Amino acid sequence: MMTSYLLRRINLLLVTLFILTIASYALAYLFPGEALQNLSGQLNPNDTTYAALSEKYAMDAHPIFGFFTYLGHLLHGDWGTSINSGKPVLDEILSHLPATLELSTYALFMSLLIGIPVGFWAGIRFHRSVDYAVMTGSVVGFSIPVFWLALILIMLFSLNLGLLPMSGRISLLFDIPERSGFIVLDILLSDVPNKREALYNAFLHMILPTLSITIVTSAVVMRITRRSVADVIQSDYIKAAIARGLSRTQALWRHGVRNALLPIMPQIVMQFTVLLTNAMIVELIFSWPGIGNWLLQAIYQRDYPAISGGMLAVSAVVIFFTLTMDVLVRALNPLKRRDVHGTI
Amino acid sequence: MQLLDIKNLTLEIPTASGSIKALDKVSLSLKKGEISALVGESGSGKSLIVRTIVGAIPDRWNITADRLTWKGQDLLGMSEHKRRRIIRDEVSVVFQNAVTALDPTATLGEQLLEAVPDRLLPKTMFWQRRQHRLALAQKQLHKVGIKDHELCMKAYPHQVADDVCQKLMLAMSLVSQPELLIADDPTMGMEITTKVQILRLLTKLNQTRNLSILYVSHDLLAIATMATNMTVLYCGQTVESGSMSELRHSPLHPYTKALLDSAPSFRKDLPRKTPLSSLPGTIPTLQHLPIGCRLGPRCPRAGKECVKAPKTHRLHNHFYNCHFPLLPETK
Amino acid sequence: MAQSNFYQEGHYPSPFQQTWKEFRKSHIALFGLWIFICFVLILLFAPLIAPYSASGQDTEALLLPPAWDPSGTVVYLFGTDSLGRDMLSRVIYGSRTTLGISLLMVVMAMLIGFSIGAFAGMSKGLRASILNHLLDSIMSLPTLLIAIIIVAIVGTGLTNCMWAITLALIPQFIHLTRDLVRTEWHKEYVTAARLDGASKTRILFDSILPNMTERLVVAGTMALSTAILDISALGFLNLGAQAPVAELGTLLSEGLELAYIAPWTIAIPGAAILLMLMSVNLVGDGIRSALRYRLQQ
Repeated sequence: MMTSYLLRRINLLLVTLFILTIASYALAYLFPGEALQNLSGQLNPNDTTYAALSEKYAMDAHPIFGFFTYLGHLLHGDWGTSINSGKPVLDEILSHLPATLELSTYALFMSLLIGIPVGFWAGIRFHRSVDYAVMTGSVVGFSIPVFWLALILIMLFSLNLGLLPMSGRISLLFDIPERSGFIVLDILLSDVPNKREALYNAFLHMILPTLSITIVTSAVVMRITRRSVADVIQSDYIKAAIARGLSRTQALWRHGVRNALLPIMPQIVMQFTVLLTNAMIVELIFSWPGIGNWLLQAIYQRDYPAISGGMLAVSAVVIFFTLTMDVLVRALNPLKRRDVHGTI
Repeated sequence: MQLLDIKNLTLEIPTASGSIKALDKVSLSLKKGEISALVGESGSGKSLIVRTIVGAIPDRWNITADRLTWKGQDLLGMSEHKRRRIIRDEVSVVFQNAVTALDPTATLGEQLLEAVPDRLLPKTMFWQRRQHRLALAQKQLHKVGIKDHELCMKAYPHQVADDVCQKLMLAMSLVSQPELLIADDPTMGMEITTKVQILRLLTKLNQTRNLSILYVSHDLLAIATMATNMTVLYCGQTVESGSMSELRHSPLHPYTKALLDSAPSFRKDLPRKTPLSSLPGTIPTLQHLPIGCRLGPRCPRAGKECVKAPKTHRLHNHFYNCHFPLLPETK
Repeated sequence: MAQSNFYQEGHYPSPFQQTWKEFRKSHIALFGLWIFICFVLILLFAPLIAPYSASGQDTEALLLPPAWDPSGTVVYLFGTDSLGRDMLSRVIYGSRTTLGISLLMVVMAMLIGFSIGAFAGMSKGLRASILNHLLDSIMSLPTLLIAIIIVAIVGTGLTNCMWAITLALIPQFIHLTRDLVRTEWHKEYVTAARLDGASKTRILFDSILPNMTERLVVAGTMALSTAILDISALGFLNLGAQAPVAELGTLLSEGLELAYIAPWTIAIPGAAILLMLMSVNLVGDGIRSALRYRLQQ
């Protein structure tokens, strides 16, 4: 049962990725300019390189054959070169992606840490003043446009109060060699003399971007959790548990928590993708060297190989993440395992 | 000795359009070792009484009662903690809808083991306790008629048939060896054969362990043979109560009579092709309860007085709430 | 025998009335509705409300702070921007653009999504299965990301943005409609209609549609809030509406360079977006919980 489900999911993942690569190949033709230039990223090649590139991307053959050649290059890690920087697109992506993932992970972690307990609290106090207060807060929270929130935070904490830095991941004074791409890990791995100061500085840089994403996402998580908890509290099995002599707290703790959290896991997972998009916008505001910032710059500069590569990478990450989480949620949730035992 | 004694219990549910008296002056009492039946159509407030007794109702619902006592102790006046203790140790409830009353994400075994009280375990080291718990649980499962205990205990509620859930609920409530079992329609949705099994088990427990049972049901046939006493409810009002045999043979309240008539197997003298008797009209909704005697609009014997709620009258050991009872003509 | 009526004749409100009655009980939802109505009025009558035109420049009054600032004047209630344009008027026209376009996009996406979804819901087999898988994948991508990608392909600009966001909004309507049509299709009232010989279109519009209107409206408000957020985000990122057009996101990005000396040029358009989103979300929440309450009864 589980294996066949797993196989189906993996199949879906592969098919989706395949469709994405087709889209990415088609983009080269859809983008303005010459397809070959959009694929390779070579500006105004001379005749010999043109011929070589044409040969490499099988431009003369049928587009379907061209696509499979392109797919082969993709699989070998040759994603073309960025017109902007002249570097290979894949290298650029790999150096920018970790920064985004790092930011998103912190924000996700913080959102869950705030959103779930507060949502729980509101759900338990369903339709009482605490609930109304939390709900009002969360409506405001998830109506705030994240880019505006980031600007307001910068104006408040960086410009007016001067407490926190407003751009970048770490002060330029620190020279951290890049290894994993995750700044904290890099600092720990590096052998710079003042590690402690570097960590503190990186931490300060992280606060505002993380905060602006967290406020929005935790508001959503809060709402989802509250709804689920309120439903569970009104369920028969909680009433039955109380009738059996458990106190409200015991009943909730033993039978409520799991039942409230399991069904909302997929919804919370879905929030990660929204969070990632928010992170991409916030990166631009805080000059955070992540994939969002890079991709937007590519769009402004009309750097087509970079756009299609970045798009491929971001969507692949999102889809891979959602599918993995989907499988994980299913493995955790007994209700989803519908293998019926025979009647006893 | 009165085990459970309820006198004039009123339960008001506040709603947006004023409060609704879901239970109106309900009285009910149960002696030690007795099987008492609580009968009424669906929506008559049977389950609400059960939930009031065990205290599983929302705080904002308003309960008033002249008496609501357990072995002479006032259940409403005592602390939450003490009440829960009594309920946990001495009273057990089987719920109406077993499938929704079980935690869907815990295995049946986990839930059954949770119901085994510590006081039944021998004083041993804590790692041996699980073994004892397991043994007790398995024994109980066999008693309620589940043979394959291992498979059952590993399963989740949605994986087994409804009647297995129902049996497990029964096992959960019996495993704590209570003094009173409140069975809220425990045989709902079961096949006749399993139903008979369960009823037989309950009767046996009543005889061997002197277990008192409050059997809540709308199924007259099932209870008629086992219950000693019966209380009839209509729309949250007690209609009549007394010993089973007396109620069966000479019901005083028109509603009880109608209820008995609607089960033809109680009457042996029926000629062929007799139409099945039933009261006109339908059960009123909670929002539109009639004043006075709530049966009023449907009652064949209703008169002017019926707009006032009747007092409880007594004839020997037989209580009825009616202005125009079906008294024997000899009077 | 004369049937006398013992019960007070209960008036049973229609489902819509019930929902509205329940909705009205929530003060905060009603508050949201009022704000939303104000925005709709702005949308309809912007030229009458706005004191100045959106592009009219007053070279005497550059970067004038709002009226509550000591150096501000009442003539320019929300101050002026770096070109001496009245912020109040710009925000009014900006709200008009943002809300108007968003509404248009949502209606379009809803119509297209509903038709495809209804078709998919009523057909079975391979077609439905393929659609299912595709939708699942697309739905896991956030609309803004899809919109950014589409804009990257077709190029920046307001019209392109509109297409991009509309396209990105469609899948969720398809998904919802398909699910609803499919569940309703197996209910007995539909079977009854089918046995009466009703055609598929008739069942869809006469039986199923009335039962899903409210849920479509809820989905519509959610989509509207997404659309507003996306269009202003794209405007802010300079991918959407371009400079002279007054659009709230664009206003924000214009104020960006002078944020330090003129914070109000950022604060006010952002607050307008916040207010607009909040009103839409409050209304959506209100309808959703009213609907939930009704269905639970």
